[in-house]
Amino acid sequence: MRELRIAAVGDVHLDESLRGRYRVHLRDIGEHADVLLLAGDLTRHGTLEEARVVADEFRDLPVPVVAVLGNHDHHSNHPAEIAAMLSEVGIKVLHDEAVVLDVDGARLGVVGGKGFGGGYAGKCASDFGEPEIKAFVGHTKRIADRWRVALKELDADRRIVLSHYSPVKDTLIGEPLEIYPFLGSYLLAEAVDAEGADLIVHGHAHAGTERGVTPGGIRVRNVALPVLGRAYGLYRL
Amino acid sequence: MEAPQYVAARVQSALAEDERTHELGIRVDVRGGQLFLRGRVTGEERRLLIADVAREAAPGLTVRNEIVVMEVRDPEPGQEETL
Repeated sequence: MRELRIAAVGDVHLDESLRGRYRVHLRDIGEHADVLLLAGDLTRHGTLEEARVVADEFRDLPVPVVAVLGNHDHHSNHPAEIAAMLSEVGIKVLHDEAVVLDVDGARLGVVGGKGFGGGYAGKCASDFGEPEIKAFVGHTKRIADRWRVALKELDADRRIVLSHYSPVKDTLIGEPLEIYPFLGSYLLAEAVDAEGADLIVHGHAHAGTERGVTPGGIRVRNVALPVLGRAYGLYRL
Repeated sequence: MEAPQYVAARVQSALAEDERTHELGIRVDVRGGQLFLRGRVTGEERRLLIADVAREAAPGLTVRNEIVVMEVRDPEPGQEETL
C-alpha cells in the first residue's frame, strides 16, 4: 500500500475580512496531499455568516476535506447549523464518529470530534463534588468513550484521530501551565491508546508546539495555524 | 490603587468575551503602569482592534501593543514529515 499524504490545519478563525485569503494557499493542495483535515475553530464567533466563509474557502477542492468543530464554532450556539452548511459543500464534519475514505484503494479511517478539557493525569479535574464539575468532567468522559467505540469498530488500513482539544501535554509547551485543564484532557489520549491509531491531530493551543506523543507512543501533531505558521502541516503515513 | 494582576485579568476577560475580539490567545501583563499585549494574530486590523478593547478595559494605562501579525506561508518542500 502506498503512503498516504495528510494535510492538516486548525484554528483558521475565518470571518468576512479574511475571505479568499486562506484559499489562495490551497491552490496546489492536490499535488501535496490526499486529504485535508480541519481541526476545529474554523470561525471566530461561531456565526452562520462566518461559516459561509469557511464553506466557500474549503469547497470544491481536489482532495476530500474532513473537519471537526472547535469551541469558537460553538460560541453562538449554532454548531449543528454550521456543520450542515459545511456538509452542503461536501465537507465531512465528524461529531465523535468515524469516516473511511478510499484513497486509491487504501482505506483511510478518521475518527474525530471536538474533544474537551479537564487536564492531564494526576493533575486533572475529577468526577466528584458539585454538579457543575461533574458536568465538565462527564462531557470529556462521554466523548472519550465514543471515540473508543468508534475506533474499536473502525476497519481501515490507516487510522487518524482528529480533535480540537489536545490529548497530551507535549504539544502544549509554550502555553501557561495554569490553563492546561482548559486545553485538553488525558482521557482522550487514553481512549486512543487503548484502541490504537497511527496519528492524532489537534488544534486549540495557539502558543503550543507542533510535535508530541501519547503515553502509548502514538504521534500527536498540534496543527493550530499560529503554531504551524504555514497554511497546513503535511504528514506521510 | 487596583492591583495590576486584577487589571490584567479584566483585560484578558474583555478580550475573550467582547464580541469584537473573542480572542483567547493574547498574553496580557501590567508592568510599571503599562499594559503589554503579546501574541500572534492574522491581520493588522485585528491587532489594532485588540488594543482598542484592551484600552477600554484599562483606561489610564499606556498600551504597549507587541502583538505580531502572522503571515500565513505556503507549505515549503522539506516541511513534510514522514511518520
